[in-house]
Amino acid sequence: MIQLVDVTKTFDRFAAVKGANMMVPKGAIYGLLGPNGAGKTTLLKMMAGILRQDRGTIAVDGEDVWENVRIKQRLLFLPDFVYFFPHATIRQMADFYEQLYPSFSRGRFMELQSVFGLDPNKKIQQFSKGMQRQAAFWLAFSVQPDVLIMDEPLDGLDAFVRRHVKQLLIEEVAEREMTVVISSHNLRELEDLCGMVGLMARGVVQLERDLDELRAGMHKLQLAFRDGCPGELAERLDIVHREERGSIVLLIVRGEKRRVEETVRAFHPLILDVLPLSLEEIFMYEMGGDAHVRETVVS
Amino acid sequence: MSAKRLSANRAMWTQNVRQIGWIAIIHLLLWLAAIVLPIGLSYSQYDPKVGNVPQWKNVYYISNGFETLIAWLVPILAAAGVVRYMHEKRSADFIHSLPIRRTELLVGQMVFGWLMLVGPLVVAAIAAIGCLLGLDLPWPIGASDVWRWFGETLVVETVIFALGIVVGVLVGQSVIHVVLTNIALFFPTGIMVLLFSNMPLWLYGFPDGYYLSEKLMDWALPIRYAMLTDQAMSAGEIGMLLLLSLLFFSLSIWLYERRPTEAAGQALAFTVLRPLFVYGVAFCMCLTGGFYFGQVGDGWGWTIFGYVAFSFVGYVIAQMVVMKTWRVFHKWKGYVAFAAAMTVLFLAVRLDPIGYVSRVPELADIEKVYFGQSVMNWQSPNMMEREFEAFDQFLHTKDNIKAVRALHAQLVHDQPIPSRFGNIQPIVIGYVLKDGTRLIRRYQVPIEAYMPYFQRIMGSKEYKQQYYLLLRPGYSPIRQVTIRNVETGRPVVVLADPKEIESFLEAIKQDLWQKPVESLLGGQVWNGEIEFLQSDGDQFSLPIDQYSSHVRNWLEDRRLWEKIQK
Repeated sequence: MIQLVDVTKTFDRFAAVKGANMMVPKGAIYGLLGPNGAGKTTLLKMMAGILRQDRGTIAVDGEDVWENVRIKQRLLFLPDFVYFFPHATIRQMADFYEQLYPSFSRGRFMELQSVFGLDPNKKIQQFSKGMQRQAAFWLAFSVQPDVLIMDEPLDGLDAFVRRHVKQLLIEEVAEREMTVVISSHNLRELEDLCGMVGLMARGVVQLERDLDELRAGMHKLQLAFRDGCPGELAERLDIVHREERGSIVLLIVRGEKRRVEETVRAFHPLILDVLPLSLEEIFMYEMGGDAHVRETVVS
Repeated sequence: MSAKRLSANRAMWTQNVRQIGWIAIIHLLLWLAAIVLPIGLSYSQYDPKVGNVPQWKNVYYISNGFETLIAWLVPILAAAGVVRYMHEKRSADFIHSLPIRRTELLVGQMVFGWLMLVGPLVVAAIAAIGCLLGLDLPWPIGASDVWRWFGETLVVETVIFALGIVVGVLVGQSVIHVVLTNIALFFPTGIMVLLFSNMPLWLYGFPDGYYLSEKLMDWALPIRYAMLTDQAMSAGEIGMLLLLSLLFFSLSIWLYERRPTEAAGQALAFTVLRPLFVYGVAFCMCLTGGFYFGQVGDGWGWTIFGYVAFSFVGYVIAQMVVMKTWRVFHKWKGYVAFAAAMTVLFLAVRLDPIGYVSRVPELADIEKVYFGQSVMNWQSPNMMEREFEAFDQFLHTKDNIKAVRALHAQLVHDQPIPSRFGNIQPIVIGYVLKDGTRLIRRYQVPIEAYMPYFQRIMGSKEYKQQYYLLLRPGYSPIRQVTIRNVETGRPVVVLADPKEIESFLEAIKQDLWQKPVESLLGGQVWNGEIEFLQSDGDQFSLPIDQYSSHVRNWLEDRRLWEKIQK
């Protein structure tokens, strides 16, 4: 479990993270969404013990991460631009990780060679950008960390590799209860992967939701009434959005599906259709007026 | 340290060997080239008939300048190598995400870097000793010399390396790291030289040369290392340097614990250092400019121009380095504040609240005075007696004490600004008071305006007698007098007969007593050169000039004068 309370980080008078709170349960895949400059990378680096927060606490399983070898041995950070030692081969990097991380598994490393199909004796810097990223994943999965923190990790991977990597991630989480935090500026990239999503904007985690709950908690209704939509109905529903198409009223409402249906039925509608909402739509409505954030994350 | 922790360090070390191990190899090759190779060369070139054994007094004689460069630059390179991981953004992020505590990481890196210094030194020392013992030649140096070199070099390299680590933790870029380490190495000496050189501009009569002693140079380690040829390190000095290294190492750890990772790529790692750096550079440049234009230009206009122009340039450049952009001109307020502070400081010193400038001791308190043109003899008076013409002297007679004090009081009152084109005599006035206190001042005095004062002092019997060796009692007897034609340089008259010499000396002594003070202050015309050879083997010369009437008569009596004139 990762818990962040009131975390603040300022660079040279520029506040990158301003009092962020976040909770990632054990075994979750947590997607951290937000536009560029929202403070995602800074937040992840603090979580990984690279940067030190000015204020607030960052704890993994209740322990402070900063300068904590015990926690950091179980935690791996994959940056947006992966780093390898100059002229190092994958094998040399694997040796390096093996000496630093007790959980590193030689067997797993050998096993994954067939998945990634890279030459472990070639200098990593001679690989293409996408292949370097694959190498980083290969090493990361061989370390078998309890907590894997990744900053925009799927950028630059082709669809085939992307699917493979996602598959591996899901397996690891299922088998070992690995906790994953993964950042992206694109919701669609995380939709089929994450169980939880946090939305970050202007240095703060604006909202944090379980995706299933989110899906269950917002509905699109198509309604028609004999004498138009009664005013009282609007008062009894938590309406996020309202649109009228002739005699049909389109409502986006918050609330449990069954209760919403009951409430509407009490007014005897001629038509009542409960339509599914895509995750993108949910986000769009949740974020309301913040057009910039909405467009980056959802587009 | 547990086995697991050792393994973490081993991982870093393996990486270090791959990435920066070449520094150790270069270090070894350089020392072999500087010390072992010349030993081998001397052996191969040795010819027993000639007996051309190299004239080395110690290991530092083998290739002094080269040795200094190695001991100075390689430790800086090693320091830059072992802390480079924190100067590059991506590697800084990577390394600091690893499960190693910062202290452990830095200590590991420091030990690795230090071993890159020690290892090659040990190998070079053993190789050198092996050559000296193995190659059969009457070597002027032996194993103990090599071990002395090993010890002192290791100490110097360690201190420079330790300083390099501190600076490395303080900055965020490798280039700035190397530049600033060098600056830091010379900073103590440099800032003192700048301050002392500027003081005469601020305080009239400040004797800068007195404070700019050679001791200051010891504070710059590369210079100190170059001087090891003649000045071995004492146990105290070695202890102090080792203590300093320890201090630097501990300081780096303390700083590193507090160093933000995001400093990678920045000029300075700690924001509190930025104003210190900017104003420090501005201050040093200010002093440099003032000193330069104080020497080159004349008058306050140019000096102030030097202060303002240089400090401004320093301020702007430092801001550019810190802010990593050349668009820094909106930061002008900081410079105005600096200029204001400097003006206040300057005025505070210039107003001289402690009365430094105007202090002239009471006559009754003075035991003796020093009058001369340099501060050197004030510091080591025994050198004076050996000079053939001693301008610098201690004077004891009441008259001379009064005369020197009067000149001093007049100078303090007038504070003459010497013109660039007039005749200037630098004058050092010193007092030894009866209670043991000493006081020294230095002035640039226009000769013509103060001639009466010079005449009163330098025309006195006491001064004259101490001035010329021949007038002092008890000099080593003269064995031979040679008079040369000044144009051809050929000896035209040689006196070797003791009686002749005695009579010639009588004549020249009369001339010396009568010589006017003007001739002591320059402006001598050499019509011939008289060369004296003393019984102790020393040799010195006096001119034949327009005041040499007795010598001329003496030579004319013996029909020798024409020979000199030809």
